[in-house]
Amino acid sequence: MLNYIVRRLLLLVPTLIGVTMVVFFVMANSPGGVGGSALSEEGDISSEQAIIQREYFNQRYGLDDPQIVQYGRWLNRVSPVGFGEAKKTAGVPVGEDRDGVPQALGFKWPDLGESFQHRRPVLDLYAQALPITLLLNLVTLPISYVVAILAGVYAARHRGQAFDVASGATLLSLYSAPVIWVGVVLIGFLASNQYLQWFPASGLSSLRADEYDFLPSITADGWQRGWLLDRAWHLVLPVVCMVYGSFAVLAKLMRASVLESLGSDYVRTATAKGLSDGDVLWHHAFRNSLLPLITVAASIVPSLLAGSLVIEKIFSVPGMGLLTIDAIWARDRELVLAGALISGLLGLLSILVADLCYAFADPRVSYE
Amino acid sequence: MSSAATPATTPPLGPRRVDDGRPTRRPRGRSFASIVLGRTAARTGAKLGLAWIVLLILMAVFAPLIANSHPLLMASADGTLSSPMLDHLTPADAGLFAAFVAGLVVLFTPLTISRRLLAVVGVGLGTLIIVGPGWQLIRGEPLLSRPALVVHDQYRESQANGDIKWAINAPIPYSPTDRLIDRGDTRQLEPSTTHLMGTEANGGDMASAMIHAARIALAVGLIATSISLVIGVTIGGLMGYFVGWVDLLGSRLLEIFSAIPVLYLLLTFAAFFPGDPELFPGVAVPRIYVMMAIIGLTGWVGYARFVRAEFLKLRKMDYVASAKTAGASVPAILFRHMLPNGVAPVLVEASFGIASAILAEAFLSFLGLGLLDQPSWGQLLSQALSDTGRFYWWIAMYPGLAIFLTVLALNLIGEAMRDAIDPKVAD
Repeated sequence: MLNYIVRRLLLLVPTLIGVTMVVFFVMANSPGGVGGSALSEEGDISSEQAIIQREYFNQRYGLDDPQIVQYGRWLNRVSPVGFGEAKKTAGVPVGEDRDGVPQALGFKWPDLGESFQHRRPVLDLYAQALPITLLLNLVTLPISYVVAILAGVYAARHRGQAFDVASGATLLSLYSAPVIWVGVVLIGFLASNQYLQWFPASGLSSLRADEYDFLPSITADGWQRGWLLDRAWHLVLPVVCMVYGSFAVLAKLMRASVLESLGSDYVRTATAKGLSDGDVLWHHAFRNSLLPLITVAASIVPSLLAGSLVIEKIFSVPGMGLLTIDAIWARDRELVLAGALISGLLGLLSILVADLCYAFADPRVSYE
Repeated sequence: MSSAATPATTPPLGPRRVDDGRPTRRPRGRSFASIVLGRTAARTGAKLGLAWIVLLILMAVFAPLIANSHPLLMASADGTLSSPMLDHLTPADAGLFAAFVAGLVVLFTPLTISRRLLAVVGVGLGTLIIVGPGWQLIRGEPLLSRPALVVHDQYRESQANGDIKWAINAPIPYSPTDRLIDRGDTRQLEPSTTHLMGTEANGGDMASAMIHAARIALAVGLIATSISLVIGVTIGGLMGYFVGWVDLLGSRLLEIFSAIPVLYLLLTFAAFFPGDPELFPGVAVPRIYVMMAIIGLTGWVGYARFVRAEFLKLRKMDYVASAKTAGASVPAILFRHMLPNGVAPVLVEASFGIASAILAEAFLSFLGLGLLDQPSWGQLLSQALSDTGRFYWWIAMYPGLAIFLTVLALNLIGEAMRDAIDPKVAD
């Protein structure tokens, strides 16, 4: 098993190189090129300043080198194995670079570079944004699974009856509802002062949230909702938007899988020996029907990450999606590449984890 | 397998004959495609979906006749008849009309489904090319071209002045780009009898914008999906047929493209090639084609997977071996022999693909990366929440519902088709 995991992890490397290569060359070959907006001569910068700034960017990021050299340099910087300053790299010394700094080839800390736009290390920016996106996804995933499993089991048990037909139609409609529309309508009707103002329209916490206690409490000023409740209150609309679309696929899969289990021999045996319907369903058929849901978890995580891109934009949630959209708008090379790298890594790792879970859940599956 | 060799055991193919020598009445042989389409159309959900799509197609084709500021026919004060609507028609409009007529004609011919499709597309494209670039090449200017300066309010003004004796207007007498400057501030008006669906953020009529946007949605959906299909089928077919290192390389390519969320790639492409980018020096590509290409280029991975799996199965079939032995070239084996047998599941997936291409277009337009000078549902939707936080329900509900219904219709048709080709469900 360990062998298999190591091999899969090593195979991630060429894929990730490919992912960042695609994104890099799209950026590099676009009109305006990398860093376009930072380099454009905007109104308040005189052309002399613009020239100085361009020189600075060229020197610092090597934007005047051939594209392949630029990509190679970026790759070397983010890779944990490669050339680097001898002081920071554990490995073999290999001479000096143009500025006379001794270089070494070996292990080093990956360096994601500095954002053009924010003038801050990319790692810091993502370290702030990633937990927010993960929070959204971690809240969403269990909700969508629980609802979909229950709906699927119930629909399979009452196959062809009203609930089955109705839930099928409802879930397909939910699946077809574009998230940009649902998001806008939810904000419009439930979070604007023209209609119901039940939820906040944007952000993840209220202005004063960092002064709140963690839990709801009664203070001198009266009832205070506390940090946790405040965060949950802000999460309601984004999570609703993320959750509703994934029901259909999961519930349909669950229904088909439960139906298959219910038609199998061991279920007939269980029924024949006199077990109640509930026992047969929950103790015999149910667990065997969960397998397909584990495999789709892999494909759901990348799509949830992409989904949070839209939702973070609509609800102005400062997560990875919003950071990425802003970075793409500003043509911030380091941020965009790091975004591709991180979301690619997360997606691929989730596929790996799903494969491992599959082997874990089904003893017949083996990767040896 | 000649039937003459073993007449006693296997009856001859073709119409079965009884003793009197006359062929018995048998249903005419139906192709797989027509059986699948028949089964699909029998479903209620698919029927509703088809009805909506047909309505959309009608709106898209006849948009200039339904919603137009230019009168369909008018008589000026001195009695001369003219049709400003015709004067402002574009080659694309003419191509769509011709394709629609061809579609109606073809519906009553006994051709196979793929030939009918080919005929409709051929007539449409042919008309577009003849009246557009073709005419330009021969006569120096296209047969149909909109004047460089389009003034929408001239008819309303001259009708008020009495310069126009009478005019037959389109049912919705506003073009989508008609900002109604002669009427004062018409921005974000609520639905009323003059503007059935209200007006949008620039003061144009929503109903007109909605109808013209149907055209963009359908065009982007269909063409982007065709691009994806061509790329996916080619790559997947090659992978499935050659196996070995081609498959290995292709699989890595598929892995790369499925590791990046499609939306991320879509955004990167669209934001890095904004407006009408000059892909070659001096040749600016109109935004709508850029959108189709971007959406098509990011959506082919699923089809490639499907075709690869299908071809892996088919390559061991006897008829492929015999085609190979007979000396058929690789393209002939791939596309003439194997593809028709493996294409059904891919075409079913394509109906979901059109839905997601329409969603992708809406999403890009929503973010302001789509078409600038023409209305699209996503772009309209983005105007529903103003910067000051005001919410205009009609600007949100109508385009949103249109996207929703279109996607739902395509999904319903896709589900019905998926069941129709699934032997387990169909029987």
